[in-house]
Amino acid sequence: MRADEIRTELEAWAEVAVRRLGETSDAKSLEAWRVEHLGKRSGLSQFMRQLSALPADERPLVGAWVNRWRDELQARYEARRAELAAAERQVQLERETIDITLPGRPYRRGAMHPLSKVIAEIEEVFLGMGFEIAEGPEVETEHYNFEMLNIPKDHPARDMQDTFYITEDLLLRTHTSPMQVRTMERMRPRTPVKVIVPGRVYRRDEDDATHSHAFTQMEGLVVDEGIRMSDLKGTLEAFAKAVFGPNQRVRLRPSFFPFTEPSAEVDLVCIHCGGNGCRVCKETGWIEILGAGMVHPRVLDGAGYDSRRYSGFAFGLGVERIAMLKYGIDDIRQLYLNDLRLLRQFARVQ
Amino acid sequence: MRVSWNWLSEYVDLSGVTPQELADKLTQAGIAVDAVTPRSPGVRGVVVGLVVRCEQHPNADRLHVCEVDVGADEHLTIVCGAPNVRTGMRAPTALVGAVLPGGRIGRAKLRGVESQGMLCSAEELGLESRWLPKEQTEGLYVLPDEAEVGADVVPLLGLDDWVLELDLTPNRADCLSMRGLAYEVSAILGRPVRMPGASPKRTADAPGLTVELATPRCPRYEAQVLTDLTTGPSPLWMQMRLLASGIRPINRIVDVTNYVMLEWGQPLHAFDADEVRQGRIIVRQAQPGERIRTLDGADRELTEDTIVISDPERAIGIAGVMGGENSEVRPSTRRVVLESAVFDAASVRRTGQRLGLRSEAQQRFEKGVDPVAVRAALDRATALLQEICSAVAVGEPVVVLQAAPAYQWQVDFSPARCNAWLGTDLTLQEMRDIMVRLGFEPEATDQPTWKVTIPSRRQDVRLEEDLYEEVARLAGYDRIPSSLPRTVTTAATRTPAQRLRQWTREILLGAGMTEVLTYTLASPTDLAPLRLPDDSPYRQMIPLLRPMSEERTALRTHMLPGLARVAQYNLAHGVIGGAIFELGRVYWPKELPLTEQPCERQQWAALWFGSTERVVGQRARLYDFYDAKGVVEVWLEALGVAEAVSFRRSGASWLHPGRSADVLVGDVRIGCVGELHPDTAAGWALGRAQYAEFDLDLLLPLLPDTLHVRPLPRHPAVRRDLAVLVDLATPAEALVQAAREAVSEDVLESIHVFDVYTGEGIPTGKKSIALAFTWRAHDRTLTDDEVRVEEERVVHRWKERWGAALRDG
Ligand SMILES: [Zn+2]
Repeated sequence: MRADEIRTELEAWAEVAVRRLGETSDAKSLEAWRVEHLGKRSGLSQFMRQLSALPADERPLVGAWVNRWRDELQARYEARRAELAAAERQVQLERETIDITLPGRPYRRGAMHPLSKVIAEIEEVFLGMGFEIAEGPEVETEHYNFEMLNIPKDHPARDMQDTFYITEDLLLRTHTSPMQVRTMERMRPRTPVKVIVPGRVYRRDEDDATHSHAFTQMEGLVVDEGIRMSDLKGTLEAFAKAVFGPNQRVRLRPSFFPFTEPSAEVDLVCIHCGGNGCRVCKETGWIEILGAGMVHPRVLDGAGYDSRRYSGFAFGLGVERIAMLKYGIDDIRQLYLNDLRLLRQFARVQ
Repeated sequence: MRVSWNWLSEYVDLSGVTPQELADKLTQAGIAVDAVTPRSPGVRGVVVGLVVRCEQHPNADRLHVCEVDVGADEHLTIVCGAPNVRTGMRAPTALVGAVLPGGRIGRAKLRGVESQGMLCSAEELGLESRWLPKEQTEGLYVLPDEAEVGADVVPLLGLDDWVLELDLTPNRADCLSMRGLAYEVSAILGRPVRMPGASPKRTADAPGLTVELATPRCPRYEAQVLTDLTTGPSPLWMQMRLLASGIRPINRIVDVTNYVMLEWGQPLHAFDADEVRQGRIIVRQAQPGERIRTLDGADRELTEDTIVISDPERAIGIAGVMGGENSEVRPSTRRVVLESAVFDAASVRRTGQRLGLRSEAQQRFEKGVDPVAVRAALDRATALLQEICSAVAVGEPVVVLQAAPAYQWQVDFSPARCNAWLGTDLTLQEMRDIMVRLGFEPEATDQPTWKVTIPSRRQDVRLEEDLYEEVARLAGYDRIPSSLPRTVTTAATRTPAQRLRQWTREILLGAGMTEVLTYTLASPTDLAPLRLPDDSPYRQMIPLLRPMSEERTALRTHMLPGLARVAQYNLAHGVIGGAIFELGRVYWPKELPLTEQPCERQQWAALWFGSTERVVGQRARLYDFYDAKGVVEVWLEALGVAEAVSFRRSGASWLHPGRSADVLVGDVRIGCVGELHPDTAAGWALGRAQYAEFDLDLLLPLLPDTLHVRPLPRHPAVRRDLAVLVDLATPAEALVQAAREAVSEDVLESIHVFDVYTGEGIPTGKKSIALAFTWRAHDRTLTDDEVRVEEERVVHRWKERWGAALRDG
């Protein structure tokens, strides 16, 4: 055969090869094509074998034609292979498509009780200011619950706190204030005494929207030389800003507690209206959140801190009241009802 | 305490101040004013009308047609439906156009007769009808015959008045009187107090009365004998002031005693002098079992602790609390003994509490009365009785004193220390001014320590710090700046017990559980579902002396009932299930009745009730034992005690015996976990539920100190699984233990059960347990042969002990 004949044949063969490459549809047919066209027994190899029959001077020319076609087909094969792979991946992806609107597998966060949440938050604030956390017995003695707090027997001040008695001398504590005395007795003569006392207290009250026979108080006590009533105001202001926001202010109003002198009711700027006046604050712009005062000299002296040398302040805040204000709960009983539809809302961080 | 604005303004000038402004100032000074209410706002056009004729309405049985003289030229025709309307009576008459609390009065035709106004009831006028006698509230309000026809009733009835409702703290007993409040207002406004003087005329006769004080609890007793009294109602102005103050008008004698008590704060009592036998009053302690019928008609048994007023034959009153019916002032009474005395505060208080009484007198005595007021009130009342009842005061008052009264005392005051206590920088002049305004007398004010004389009406001011409060509240608490304590810096941390509780809460929240808080006061009946033996210590609930309700009579000893109720409530409200826990206390007495403070144990308990959530790919199912145990294990692992823990079958009566475990750390039982006994669960209609409870006080000392990491391994591990066939009853944990015992070297890094299978391919009565072993030596790479030898030891041990066969070779 002549070189030009071979060339014509080669080109006709190559045209068919290219067409058939386009007809491959998957990895298997592509591989069959490769064996047939680029393999050892392929058409190209046939052409190479025909070289020996050509005159020596035509051999390189024809050899180059064959090689060019080999390279060409090889390149086309690679491209086709990539094309088929992409199509196949595409099919796979479509096959694997899922409904992304279905809910995710639930990993439920538990919900902390709102009272625990408030206590923990207040504790953090006071820990940050260097206050220890103390706790005390709920079954208290008359001695600590009343006598040591300057509330003698048969004194009208006892009416302020209707009491559950267990025996003549033992009772359910009506406030966390006995821990003022217990803490001072434990600490004396060291100073400063800086402590907060969260805990459950009891009053002989009928349960209603604003009263509960059991509730939570947080007592605070600071005793040292040179403690002033202004320190009470500043400390409570720091607390209010931390818990209710940087624009908070506190207001003190004169009041009476047998174990503080002077005594004060402490108001915060109304959380609901920011001080403009609303239903929650009875249009005053202020809401009462705690009672406080300078520790009464009789209490200091009784607990072993000479009131001529030391002074101190104390406060007692109602945790339920703060939780109710903060979370917009209007009935104290809801805090002890434990309705999971309410409690589960506290899975939210805040 | 309710205070009439008009009445108060008699004692201190209130011009230029509104009631609301005064209320705000009082509140800022510590006398909290709860409410300021107009007595009867805006009433106009109501006059005294005289019913000159009263006839049956022609068309209505219940109506009358009245001709009413209102002081005008022509009489008015007024249709009236009140049952007590009658000719000759005087009644408040609203003219056409009049304004009443209920609205404006117009001309109206009632059943064909035109009514030119309205005759009014107490309620229609806005009077405090709850303190009026029945005859004044059923129908028209009857005006006295002295009321001038045509006169405006607004000033007559004091309707243009305001009432301040004070919420007094127990220390300010002085403000339980108009006088005390006047002094307070005087100090706030800087205006003087003008109390009415009283100088009653007294005859030179002997009073015919002796008084003996046979108890130390009556330090002072004064009595005035009065005679020739007239009876009847008190003047309208006095009745209206009593009404505004919330006191029931009764008759002119009793009204005078109440009026003077309100004015001076000193309770008075009037006895019918003819009932004081032998003209002898003896103040003494009651005999045990002695009885008296009090003014309210109740028979009362007295104790020795009670002070009584008696004559030689019988008790005629309970001192400071309530008079006796036998000596009550009646319409026939012409002679009275008027008592003004001081009784021991604590004793009066105890007596009132014992008898369940809280009279106005008692409220004042128990807080301490002003010795100055004892005579002043007696004089004032005597003068008023002379004025109102034309009484004659027979001789001077009989006075018996056991101790000299303290009319004033001195308190030291250091201005520097006051400023240091408050954190203020008040000037000496300011402090001095405040004291003077309060009616205190500061002396030696050029010295570092002043001597301040306190008048006896301020029984509450005894200590230097009391004066600091007076200074602070009158200067205004807004004068106190904000500062922080100048103490040394202290570092604060939670105690180990507090940390354990905080960690426990966090771990359980992390396990998806919801925290609840239940009441600690419970009822012994709550324990019924727990199937406790009769002598169970859980039955030792500490009872309250006087519980408020049957549900809350004693302190809880067990955490389950509270949680079970929460579950029951939620199931009843459409919640399908939940996992809840509570951190709280139980109260275990050392003995009952309680002789010392009980143990208050810190515990946590959890309840899994109802079913799990329904989610895609997972059916809702009832919670089972392994849900609960899983959470318990997470908790133990997080606390670092998991390796020391063992689970043993529990004997807790409230748990299912086959599905419950005691949890031990070392050999200390710290709690239990398990399915509720079906009978226990049924007690709260719970169905199947899982429960766990743990004592944190027991666990605390068992906690490891700190976490030390294990070094990373240097040699590879060999992981191999074994599946073994054993009897159904064989505990998986026993296989694990046996494997650990069987291996010869410390090459078994971990072993855990990952599958339990029964059913197809497994003989009946058997189960297949699959365990994953991780083999590793710390000093070399284990060879297959080494591992095979160890495995064979394990398998041999299992076979030996349970006849266990490997599954699938
Ligand atoms: Zn507001």
